[in-house]
Formats: sequence, C-alpha cells, structure tokens
Amino acid sequence: MTHSSTLPQHTRTARQAVWLLVLLALPTGLGLALNAQITVMTQAMLYVLAVVVGAYVLPAAASVACAVLAVVGLNFFFVPPRWTFAVDSQEHLVALVVMLVVALVISQLSQRLRRNTALARLHARRAEQLQTLASELAQCTDAKAAAQVGALYMARAFDGPTVLALRAQDDALQAVDTAVALNPSLQDGLRAAMREASVLGPGTGRWPGLNAWYLPLGTAQHMHGAVCIQNIDASDETGREHAQALCALVAQTLERVQLGREMALANERNTRQQLQNTFLAAVSHDLRTPLAALVGNASSLLTQRDKMTFHEQASLLEDIVRSVSHLSRLTDNTLQLVQLTNTAEPLAVDWEALEEIAGACVARQRLAGAGTRIRLHMPADLPLVRVNAVLMAQLLDNLLDNALKYSEDAVDLKVRLCKGQMQLMVQDRGPVIPPDVHAQIFEPYSRGDRSGKQGAGLGLALCRAIARAHGGQISLRVRQGGGNSFRVCVPLAAEVPTAPPGEPL
Amino acid sequence: MSLQVLVVEDDRSIREMMRQALSLEGFAVRTAVSVSEATSMVEHATPDLMLLDLGLPDGDGAALLQRIRWRHNFPVLVVSARHQEAQKVQLLDAGADDYLVKPFSVAELLARIRVALRHRGTTVAAAITRHTLEGLDIDLDVRSVHLDGAELHLTPTEFNLLARLVRSAGKVVTHRQLLLDVWGAEYVDHTHYVRLYMGQLRAKLEHNPAEPRHLLTEVGVGYRIATA
Repeated sequence: MTHSSTLPQHTRTARQAVWLLVLLALPTGLGLALNAQITVMTQAMLYVLAVVVGAYVLPAAASVACAVLAVVGLNFFFVPPRWTFAVDSQEHLVALVVMLVVALVISQLSQRLRRNTALARLHARRAEQLQTLASELAQCTDAKAAAQVGALYMARAFDGPTVLALRAQDDALQAVDTAVALNPSLQDGLRAAMREASVLGPGTGRWPGLNAWYLPLGTAQHMHGAVCIQNIDASDETGREHAQALCALVAQTLERVQLGREMALANERNTRQQLQNTFLAAVSHDLRTPLAALVGNASSLLTQRDKMTFHEQASLLEDIVRSVSHLSRLTDNTLQLVQLTNTAEPLAVDWEALEEIAGACVARQRLAGAGTRIRLHMPADLPLVRVNAVLMAQLLDNLLDNALKYSEDAVDLKVRLCKGQMQLMVQDRGPVIPPDVHAQIFEPYSRGDRSGKQGAGLGLALCRAIARAHGGQISLRVRQGGGNSFRVCVPLAAEVPTAPPGEPL
Repeated sequence: MSLQVLVVEDDRSIREMMRQALSLEGFAVRTAVSVSEATSMVEHATPDLMLLDLGLPDGDGAALLQRIRWRHNFPVLVVSARHQEAQKVQLLDAGADDYLVKPFSVAELLARIRVALRHRGTTVAAAITRHTLEGLDIDLDVRSVHLDGAELHLTPTEFNLLARLVRSAGKVVTHRQLLLDVWGAEYVDHTHYVRLYMGQLRAKLEHNPAEPRHLLTEVGVGYRIATA
C-alpha cells in the first residue's frame, strides 16, 4: 500500500533502534542524575512515559520491545538491589509485573489507534481519488483519454504494477501504456475477467492462486477492456473494493463515450439522408422548371427563328440567359451546401473587412441590373473579422437576390457593430413572410411559398450553414413598417489586429 | 497580322464558344485540350495570349504555367469554376495575369483579354507610370496623386500600395503579391495589413468608400484598380 514508507528496510530498522535507545536512555539518564531526589515509583512513571511515546512513534514489535526493555531497565538500574537483575522484595516484583502489563496494554492500545487512523486516512484518500477521477473522467471525450486517466489513477492507488488494457475493434487487447507488452498469461487473465464480467484473483473465490487481481471494465453486454493489479494482498478487501470502484467509473465513461460516438454517427447518417432527400426535391422542382423554359426557348429559336421579329428573338435569348444564370446559382448553392455539410475540415478564414465584401456584392448586383434599388448603410472604421470571404459573399449574394426578387422597392443592406458582434442586415419591403414559417424557412428546400416565384430553394439553407460555420447565426424578423429583415451575426475575434507599427495611419 | 490566342480547355462546348467569340473579334485562335498538347503548341509557336482552364485531365495547370514562365512572357488568363479559389490564387501568384470565373459572358472575356494585352511586356519594364480615371490622376514618376484637381497626401506605405496596383492597372493583384511587394517576404501572412491600408486608401481616394469606384475588391483573391 502507498502508506508504507519508501525507505529501504535496513535504514528503517536502524532508525527504529536509535529511537528505542533514545527513549530508554532519557528516563535512565534523568533517573541517574536525580538519584537522590526521586523514588523508584517516580522513576517507573518516567519509564511509562517513554513507553507511551514509543508506542506512538514505533511500529508494533519495536513498541513491545520498548515496553519490555523499560521494565528491565527499571529493574536493573533502580530497583534494589541496584545494578542487578535480582529483585529483593515481593512488593517490587509485583510493581515490576504490573508495570510490564501496563506498558504492554498501552503499547497495544496506541498501536490499534494508529492502525485505525491510518485506515481512516486511507479511506479518505481513496474517496478523494474516486471523486477527482470522476471529475477528470467527466471531461474526457474519447476512449483513449479516459483509459489514460484511469490507468494513471490505478497506478497511483496501488503499489504493484498495474495494467489497463482496452479491447480494440478487431477484439485484440491493447495496453494503454504502449510500452507494456501483454504477455500470454496476462492476456489470459484479462480475457477471463472480461469473459466472466467479474473480478478474479485472491479473495474473490475465483482463481485464488494468482498474485494479482483481474478486473473487468464494463458489463457482460458492453465490455470495453480489463485491468490487472499485481502484487496484492489477498486479505485487502477494502483495496479490492476500491479497485472495483475505480474500474466502474472508468467503465461508465467508456460506455458514455461509445454511446456518444454511436449517436453522432447515427445523426450524421440521418443528416446525410435528409440532405439527399432535399437534393432530390430540389432537382425535381428547382432544376426542372428553368430547364423546361430553356429547352422551350432554345428549340423555338432553332425552328421558328425565320418567322420571328428581331425583338422576339432577343426576348427569348434574354429568357435563356436568365434561366441559365438561375441554374448556375442553384448549382453553386447546392455544391457549397454539400461541401459545408459533409466536411469536418475547419473553415479557411482570414482577416477580412465585411464592408469590403458587402461593397463587392452590391457592385456585382448593380452590374447585374439591380441599379439603385440597393441602399448600403455602413459606418466607417468597422473592425476586421475572421471569415471566409468567398462564403460570406455567397451568403450576401443569396440574401440580396432573394430580397430583390420578392420586393419591388429598395432593399437596404446594413453592416454594423452590435454587442461584440458584427451584424449584416438585408431588409426589404416585400410581402411579409408570416412569422410561423420563420423557423422552417432556413431548412433546406422549404421556400415558405413566397407568391409562387422561382425560389433559390437551397439559398437560405446555405446562408444558415455559412453563418453557423463561422460560429454565427442568421435570423428573420418582420420589418417595422412592412417587409422582412434578415440578420446575420458574426462574432468578433478576441483580438482585433491593428495597423503595423512605424507609420501613422 | 492578327494576334494569336491559345485556348487550353478540355470541355468541348466552352472551347468552341471561346474559339468562335475570339475569331469574331479578329483573333487567330488555336485550341488545346490538355496540358501536354498545350506544352507542344507553345513550343511550336509562341502565342500572344493563353487562356488556361483549371482542372485539365492530364495534370496541373500550375506546372504548365511554371514551365512557360521560364522562357515566355505572354499573358496567361486563368479560367476557373467558382469553387476553385485556392488553385486560382495559386496560379495568379505563380505568374498568371488574371482570371475569369465560369460562367462568364463574352463581354467579360474580351475585357480581360484587352487589359492583359495592354500589359504585355510590363513584367520586364514598368510601362505604366501614369493612371487617370474620372478625376483620379496618379503619377508614379513624380509620386503625386490628385483627386478632382486637389493633391492628396498619402503615407509612404499607402503610396507604395497604390503604385503596385497602378503598375498592374486593370489586372487583379493577389493579397500575397501586394504583401510581398509592399511590405516584404516576411510579411506575407499579415493579410490584415492589406485590409487596413486599403481601407485608408479608399477613405482618401473614393467619393464613397463603401462602394469603391477605383479600388475594386476581388473577393477571396485580391484587388484591382479600375481602368474603365
């Protein structure tokens, strides 16, 4: 156990001998020095005091030796006839025997007290160990980390070598400490504990011949691995209970981690399935409609061009360009959404000025014919943010497209700093989207049925995916005075970079 | 003699569209469908300009561009899909002159080609030292910038940044190129320098900095100074 001293045996014995000598020399020396002043009875008290002190500082055997030597010393040095082991009166003999009994009883009592104190300390330390293990395990998110924490606590709690092994996917056992080789007998023990889902080894009634305990990590249904603790004491029942409690904690965590992983996998499958359904729905509507228009317009140009006026031809061509650019936007959105949803890679972000991205988007919309319908509102000196510029531009393009499509009036694009976040707002005066569909409008392919116009389908779903990928969010509100207000919030970085030194800006 | 344009594009319909549009404008057009074909065509006769598609079947446009830049100086325009930002920027940094994002209109294609041809040879001698557009007048030789007749005072860094854009007027200059040429090689990761100084330049040069007329943003790529 960890409470035994770490000093080598011979050093300990020597130190005890010194203590013994000092304890006995003190009353003897004092008695000889004060020879005339004190009686034999007082001298006996001095020796008893030495025995009491000895019982507290010395282990059991040395303490008994101290008691016996104290009686012998009293007899030799002080009981008449002095300087002999002989006892002249019966009274002195009785006194010596009584003193011996008293010394031994005191020694035994204080030994028991010391044992109980040590045991109480051990229990307290183990309880604390369980508590800290539990709180450390609570922070573990993967099996390997949990097993490492568990192995560390096992090694701390027990003197003998401890091994914690996990069962890998191919059923092989792998020790957490990779330096440890699992020899065949160790493997057998670990596997047997896992198979029987119970503790094996001395004191358990199973495999009593071993010099080690084998403890399973998990239950019969969900077995994660096993622990081996070597060089144990068969009678150390509380030690075994402690080991079992530690194992139970580790097993619980392994179970939690595995369940979490399974749930995440199931969620992922579910999301992928949903996404597939969404794309099927998108293909069946959002692609078909512009495709039909394209085929119709192009084929009528091909076959009836001679009968058409120049103006009619131009109008058909314009329709074709419009359908095609819609298809192009739809394809961009779909690809980007799939990419964002399916990749676990972190976003490539850089320091960007949102007003710059907004300016570029507005310029593009103006070129595409939005003219003066977009009004841009931005204060000067907005801080830089960590974003992916291309994605943020795509988000703004989608919101602006939508707003321009569903309203005839001006569309306001606002960028502002609010409560430690950057806010982008796209506001229109179009037909109000009823608040009861606000929640579902960001779901892939739910258009909120806005007056039957050709929707972007996945546009708002992509906007939400982009906002979330940046740690931000998107929301929709009814605008004061009529219309809709889309708001995107992007968190500010903890440290916003400033200009390089050396030149005043 | 008409100018020679080499179109390197593996998609037949886009290749044909570009061939037709460029022929109508009076260019002599040759086409290649792969990196290897393009390499041998450049060896055989040096074109005046090359349109290079990203994602060719037999290899990397970047490797081709590198080989070409060893010996030739003709402008190269990169044609890319929207999601190929990283490759596009990589090629621009490796010496491509400008880029076009599919789908593009014929008008855009011709405008980019005109700018690229105007710059022919500028990598050897800085030909453009004067830039004038709508009240903005920049003269690199005497280091002066005038807006609507009034002289503007720029800090040295602001002026260097502006000068770098003017030397490539009309063409995109990547963030990396700007950092490299204005601040130096050890600052190529300090992208926020460019953003902050560009904001300052716009505040001085633009009537409406939020919607710049001169200093245009190419989102995710770099900046270009407008020439028209």
